[in-house]
Amino acid sequence: MLLLIKYTLLYGIVLMMVALGGMFSEHSGIINIALEGIMVIGGVAGVLTLTMLPAGMPAYLVVLISILAAALAGMVYSLLLAFASINLKADQTIGGTALNLLATAIAVVIAKYFSTSGSAKLNYSNKAFLFTVGGLEMSVFVPLGFVLLVISFILLYKTRFGLRLRACGEHPQAADSVGINVYKMRYAGVLLSGALGAIGGMAYIVPPVQTWNFEVGVAGAGFLALAVMIFGQWKPFHICGAAMFFAVFKSLANIADSTFLAQLHWSSNIYNMMPFVASMVILAFTSKNSMAPKAEGIPYDKGSR
Amino acid sequence: MAEDFVIEMLHITKEFPGIKANDDITLQLRKGEVHALLGENGAGKSTLMSVLFGLYQPEQGKILKNGKEVAIRNPNDANALGIGMVHQHFKLVECFSVLDNIILGVEPNKMGFLQKAEARKKVVALSEKYGLRVDPDALISDISVGMQQRVEILKMLYRDNEILIFDEPTAVLTPQEIDELMEIMRGFKKEGKSILFITHKLNEIMAVADRCTVLRKGKYMGTVDIQNTTKEELSRLMVGRDVQLQVNKKPADPGKVVLDVEGVTMHNDQRKKDSVKDVSFQVHAGEIVCLAGIEGNGQTEFIYGLTGLEKLSSGKITLSGKDITRASIRQRSKDGMSHIPEDRHKHGLVLDYTLENNMVLQRYWQPEFQKGGFIRSDKVREYSDKLIAQYDVRSGQGSSTIVRSMSGGNQQKAIIAREIDRDPDLLVAVQPTRGLDVGAIEYIHSQIVAERDKGKAVLLVSLELDEVMNLSDRILVMYEGEIVGEFDPKTTTVQELGLYMAGARKQGKESENK
Amino acid sequence: MNKKKLSHGSLNSSITSVLAALLCILIGLLVGFLVLLAINPAHAWGDGFVRILKGGFHDAPYGVGKELANAAPLIMTGLSVAFAFKTGLFNIGAAGQYTLGAFGALYCAIMLKLPWFVCLLVATILGGIWGAIPGFFKAYFNINEVITSIMFNWIGLYLVNELIYQNGTGPMYDVRNTRTLNLSKDPALSKALIPDLGLNKLFQTNSTTIAIFLAAVVAILVWVVLNRTTFGYELKAVGLNKNAARYAGINEKKNIILSMAIAGALAGFGAGLFYLSNVSQWNPLNSTSLPAMGFNGISVALLASSNPIGTIFSALFISHISVGGSFLSTKYYPTEISDLISGIIIYLCAFSMLFRGKIHALLFKNADKTNVNAEPSPAEAKTTKKEGE
Repeated sequence: MLLLIKYTLLYGIVLMMVALGGMFSEHSGIINIALEGIMVIGGVAGVLTLTMLPAGMPAYLVVLISILAAALAGMVYSLLLAFASINLKADQTIGGTALNLLATAIAVVIAKYFSTSGSAKLNYSNKAFLFTVGGLEMSVFVPLGFVLLVISFILLYKTRFGLRLRACGEHPQAADSVGINVYKMRYAGVLLSGALGAIGGMAYIVPPVQTWNFEVGVAGAGFLALAVMIFGQWKPFHICGAAMFFAVFKSLANIADSTFLAQLHWSSNIYNMMPFVASMVILAFTSKNSMAPKAEGIPYDKGSR
Repeated sequence: MAEDFVIEMLHITKEFPGIKANDDITLQLRKGEVHALLGENGAGKSTLMSVLFGLYQPEQGKILKNGKEVAIRNPNDANALGIGMVHQHFKLVECFSVLDNIILGVEPNKMGFLQKAEARKKVVALSEKYGLRVDPDALISDISVGMQQRVEILKMLYRDNEILIFDEPTAVLTPQEIDELMEIMRGFKKEGKSILFITHKLNEIMAVADRCTVLRKGKYMGTVDIQNTTKEELSRLMVGRDVQLQVNKKPADPGKVVLDVEGVTMHNDQRKKDSVKDVSFQVHAGEIVCLAGIEGNGQTEFIYGLTGLEKLSSGKITLSGKDITRASIRQRSKDGMSHIPEDRHKHGLVLDYTLENNMVLQRYWQPEFQKGGFIRSDKVREYSDKLIAQYDVRSGQGSSTIVRSMSGGNQQKAIIAREIDRDPDLLVAVQPTRGLDVGAIEYIHSQIVAERDKGKAVLLVSLELDEVMNLSDRILVMYEGEIVGEFDPKTTTVQELGLYMAGARKQGKESENK
Repeated sequence: MNKKKLSHGSLNSSITSVLAALLCILIGLLVGFLVLLAINPAHAWGDGFVRILKGGFHDAPYGVGKELANAAPLIMTGLSVAFAFKTGLFNIGAAGQYTLGAFGALYCAIMLKLPWFVCLLVATILGGIWGAIPGFFKAYFNINEVITSIMFNWIGLYLVNELIYQNGTGPMYDVRNTRTLNLSKDPALSKALIPDLGLNKLFQTNSTTIAIFLAAVVAILVWVVLNRTTFGYELKAVGLNKNAARYAGINEKKNIILSMAIAGALAGFGAGLFYLSNVSQWNPLNSTSLPAMGFNGISVALLASSNPIGTIFSALFISHISVGGSFLSTKYYPTEISDLISGIIIYLCAFSMLFRGKIHALLFKNADKTNVNAEPSPAEAKTTKKEGE
């Protein structure tokens, strides 16, 4: 049971953070399919930094610096999406897909360059990130994730920034007509998704194991996070709930054999399938009342009235 | 000149790729006056006001406020100078509340955190002072169009704007709401605010404006004092010649019933009410029947039901004796119905297809144009060339032009060519001349009358009362989804129609003014 | 006069598309070269860049055979995505449809021991079904096909892996090699192999078959359907303007599903070509990544501007540099450099509109400058108003 909670939190916090990133981007009006790629970039940057930090460094510094490095890398990578979508008005789904393909290739090239074994595997120590609370093993990403959740909610609904951001995704002409710089706001949205997605990528890779083969990227977690975002109707706390819901299935996939469910003799493939099937069912029921930001995916052109 | 001008726009030129929207225009606004800006579609009125509001930068010219030159690079600058604008297409965020929309861009805040309480107080005070009733917490998606416009006005007042620009404000209002708006404008005038008011409606200018500047095709035509002018003079300045206000046509000679509409009701799930209520009427061969009414009273939905784009809740539609209530769109087309749609870009054309592909949009499946599933491109080209010549449809590369690059007028002519050439028994024409200039309008009117003279039945839907009066043989007024009156244009007046359109009267029932 | 203008206009646009694609390729290759330089400057040219450029020719004829064998399924997934694009849909689900196609082909080959053309047919049908699903959700629930396709990519992967692996005891599964049974090792299964008509001997491979020709023929068929048939006319109309298509009496729901089904079928056919040529076997233990062939199809389609004939060439190109990447000396460089180059190329393709606009302006400066907004002046419109009557 504890194991179930551990894995659910582990995986759920990843999905939540990445989905929050996607949420910010889409609230500003930019569809971000590149979350998968951003996670990979964040993962490789964070892990690399981790391996390069001196051995004697205090744990909190290790955590701080590597997470910052990941976030930074994610933001820089997301600039590619921002530039293509906002300045060049490219198709956002195509741009996002391109960045996903590119990210895995970049990550593998970098990993192979720095790896000692010639493969794309990097080894690191994740001790600094783990701690135990009452018998439950957790990573620092869990409390970090919840803090980010609360900050996201406040930012989105209680600040001037959030109001303006949402206006840009719903009705950019209205925002423009009251003097808001839609381009700048959208850059902010995409950069936030870059930071959050990258931290999510690190949270996916670092806590469970001490070695990672970057050839697998992040195994579809970025896309699942997109589903979480839609399921959560672009609202922070709903996204948290959706993330945990999906995470339960994923952790069952890992540990089902050791619980009562082992009697079903379902392999991990079946558990892995379930979140996706569940999303489709939910989507089918909620599509009519979708709260998707109205102007998302449509490049904003000042000249059009 | 010792004039008391609060705003002067001097020799403004604004260009877009391929077109000079404003060509050396000068506009001077006196303090405390209501100044109308008149012109046809495409004359450059909205562009000029967008320059004043900082949405566009002019290539040449300068703007003065109270005699001093100012730079307006964005709406914030305009606001700082006290200039505000109510746009034709409202710039409101649907899922935000009234209050959020009003404060967007000038949010009161403490270190970035929103402080809505003081804003709310100010909004309530303003709405009481000027009689603009709103609920600050209502969502825009839930309130009426008239109320949405009030929110736009409050946006200006909240920012303490003294110079108020209204862009075609009455297009979406009922006659009663229009009167209310005129009162509100007079109220602003008394407070010393100056108003610029874009319109193409002569009646309103005569009713409320002090002076009027006329633009035509981007150029300045003149400024007149309303007291000293007439509608005829204004319209001459607007169009450049004496407008043929009458369409010459022989009297109608109606034959048998072509379209029989019985008890049609249509339900709108989103708004949870009937958009069309128990509508019944007939159209005979050789007559033009017009559905008149203010936009949003069920005409659009009815036409969708008639042409098959939407389902009816109840009722029956018969075309030339055949029951088509459940028929598919293709079937109705085959049974002799042609449809010139309300929105030429949404329904009428595939903009990224060539002109010839659009010309055969309703006929590509016929044996004349395909064999065994393969398109006969030579036949398609032949047909398209013929229609282009016959109906004078202009384009860059003839039949192979991509329709998106064509002008609105020529796009509409292409649709009309296609729909009329099919030789339908019933021609359904919805707003066929919307957004077109006078030359195109006259041409299209003559085509419609020609169809009727050939013995076809024509169902026309129009928002322009002049068009309604000129073209129709019979007028049916729709209000809130019902037919509230039937009229003969020869014996009725625009004023009478207006009363019915506003719901103040109903044939068979006299109801009080709402 | 009109005919001349037509060929002029569409030729211009084709030339522009090709030039834009070439520009994207050049920039992608350049960046790839810079990365090679950064990793190991000494060998960046001979052992690096040149090998990528030479592609399969580095180790001819084997390498060339390998290129062709890989290009065939790539043409198909490229067609899958291109066809969907032409009808207004983004088929990011090609990987999932490919997966289902692979299963169909292998099941028929290994379990039912059917001949190759039947296996190909089944692969195509399964791919088509898997493609129709996102089409269905879009048509009837208005759910974006990108999201549905992504979901079903993963559902498909887990499903197929489960069916093949079955905890290590699946009948199609070869435990020793952790793959599906090798079709060429068992004579009972060999009639499922696509015939090679001597190509294998020519290229000294064991997986170069007539698949490449089959793919090229399908590409031409797709072009004909899209541009010369009423069916293609309808599909494109729905993709370009759903509302106008409806107005014209076209059943847009049916057509969206059909478009996606066809796109899926094309991807499924591609999987059949790959696995029935025995280029490699399916690994059901890999549940963490979708077949790259599906996503590379997106690159192929974009590079070809969704022109079916163009996909033949862009698939050959991408296959060429991929094989070239595999020949990079692993001492110095990772083979993923070619993936990097592909990725950059399609990132650039994402805003190729911009390139195309600039190239068109540069080359065709003297293009027709007719005023397309000319309204008829009242005097010229003969049949119109009766002035002053």
